[in-house]
Amino acid sequence: MNAKIKKQGINFLFMLPALVLFIFIIVIPFVKGIRISFTNWDGFSPIYNYVGLENFRRILKDPSIKGPICNSLFYTVVTVIVNNAAGLGIAVALKKDTRVNRIFRTFVFMPFILSLVLTGFIWTYIYSDVFYGIFGIKSLLGNKNTVMWGICIMAFWRDIGYAMLIYLAGLQAIPETYYEAAKIDGAGAFKRFRSITVPLLAPAFTVNVTLFIGWGLKVFDYVMAATNGGPGRASETFAMYVYNYTFPYNRAGYGQAAAILMLLGIFIISGAVSRLLRRKEVEM
Amino acid sequence: MNVKKRFCKISAFVLKLLTVMVFVMPFYIAVVYALKSPEETMRTGLALPKKIYWQNFTEAIEVSDFWSAAANSFVVTVTSVLLLTVICTMCAYVIARNGHSLFYQSFYYIFLAAMMLPFQVVMLPLYVQLRNMGMLNTRIGMLLTISGFQLAYNVFVYTGFVRNIPVEMEEAAFIDGAGKFYTFWKIVFPLMKPIVSSTLILNALSVWNDFQISLIIAQKPEVRTIPLTQFFFFGQYSIRLNMAFAAFVLAMLPIILLYLVMQKYIIGGVMAGAVKG
Repeated sequence: MNAKIKKQGINFLFMLPALVLFIFIIVIPFVKGIRISFTNWDGFSPIYNYVGLENFRRILKDPSIKGPICNSLFYTVVTVIVNNAAGLGIAVALKKDTRVNRIFRTFVFMPFILSLVLTGFIWTYIYSDVFYGIFGIKSLLGNKNTVMWGICIMAFWRDIGYAMLIYLAGLQAIPETYYEAAKIDGAGAFKRFRSITVPLLAPAFTVNVTLFIGWGLKVFDYVMAATNGGPGRASETFAMYVYNYTFPYNRAGYGQAAAILMLLGIFIISGAVSRLLRRKEVEM
Repeated sequence: MNVKKRFCKISAFVLKLLTVMVFVMPFYIAVVYALKSPEETMRTGLALPKKIYWQNFTEAIEVSDFWSAAANSFVVTVTSVLLLTVICTMCAYVIARNGHSLFYQSFYYIFLAAMMLPFQVVMLPLYVQLRNMGMLNTRIGMLLTISGFQLAYNVFVYTGFVRNIPVEMEEAAFIDGAGKFYTFWKIVFPLMKPIVSSTLILNALSVWNDFQISLIIAQKPEVRTIPLTQFFFFGQYSIRLNMAFAAFVLAMLPIILLYLVMQKYIIGGVMAGAVKG
């Protein structure tokens, strides 16, 4: 009995540092955050009142929330589609493990190691000075109809390499013998792609889609760096909406309630999509 | 047939090359603009520089307070990465080796859920908590918070790896009277080297590039890391084009060097995460 307690004690000691940090940084703030979302706190004064569900009610009624929601969803849908399509295409093209392909992969993945802020700034300057100065193309970021496309293009540049790597990992796990057998049976290149590559890549597809949905719904840095939500509020995303209400506008309770709605949205959308894809994986 | 095949091969190569060039272009633009004087840029656009104009860099270093930002980034990154490696491997080891226990597995699922958590949900309470503890505007506050956010992913990846390490060697060590601590660090941890090296590098990238978390914690210029310095630098002033690109190149340089040296581990790490899904 004593030995068992000792064993559990040592186990617990092993986990303790990680748990302490996790509780301190995530769990306690998370629980406090739920409480704050029911108050009208401004973020610094010592007095505040509980207002029940008032914050949530007001957020859902706020007419200016439509823009940020649409922007975040637009960004998510566009980046999920383009990053996956381009990532898969490039992965197939660079699949063979030759020297040249390895060098190409290195370059395609290289943007991903830059910070989102740096990516945002580089592209802002490329749009406004290089493209405009040399080709006379007006910056996409200056027009409220094209600004989200401008942001998406930055994201394509940075993240397609990541999608490519995930697909490459999937492709390399498919045994070459499958293709050879299909070839002998007379299947053409397209047929082989459709009947072997696609179904066996389903897990990689699931990873990429859920990952980019998660990143997309949380998008913040690009917009902060490139446009600060402008022109007007045309590129404000939901994560920025939360940030703006919490810090610059000093409406902590309201911002916190919006953050909780954001969390719910992410859990519901990601959960539903990943469940759907996993089920499809089994069918294929 | 042979000619046709050759033509296909060449056009496929050209197509690939063009695609890759699209990805390289912004790097090329950044480097070329950073190395040219404003006059030469006006005249020659995207052409390679004839005369290298180092003044862009000296000015960018001075105006953006580069060395102080680089030192902050470096300290925060190295300490967080070391901290994460030590605490997460130990935690993952226990979770992986107690697969039958509901108690330990529940932590696994809690970490899994925490990976989806957007920073905004804990942003304000965390800010208040750090303020009350005097940890705002400190490197320690920054490194603990960023590590806290990386932690769940680390434990998740390490647990998956340890599950596939056979237990026999540990059992032999226990029979020989070795303690758990000794067994872990001398036997299990060395076996985790491949996953530790790639996760470590990926952590370093995320910490080095972090913006959202440091934005609320490091508000004083002395503690700002490179992404933050850039944010305030470009947000407040309209900067001369060539100097701006020199600042970008400076910020890129350390991380690109790390990438080129550690490429194997970075790419391996991303791919290892993918297979598990």
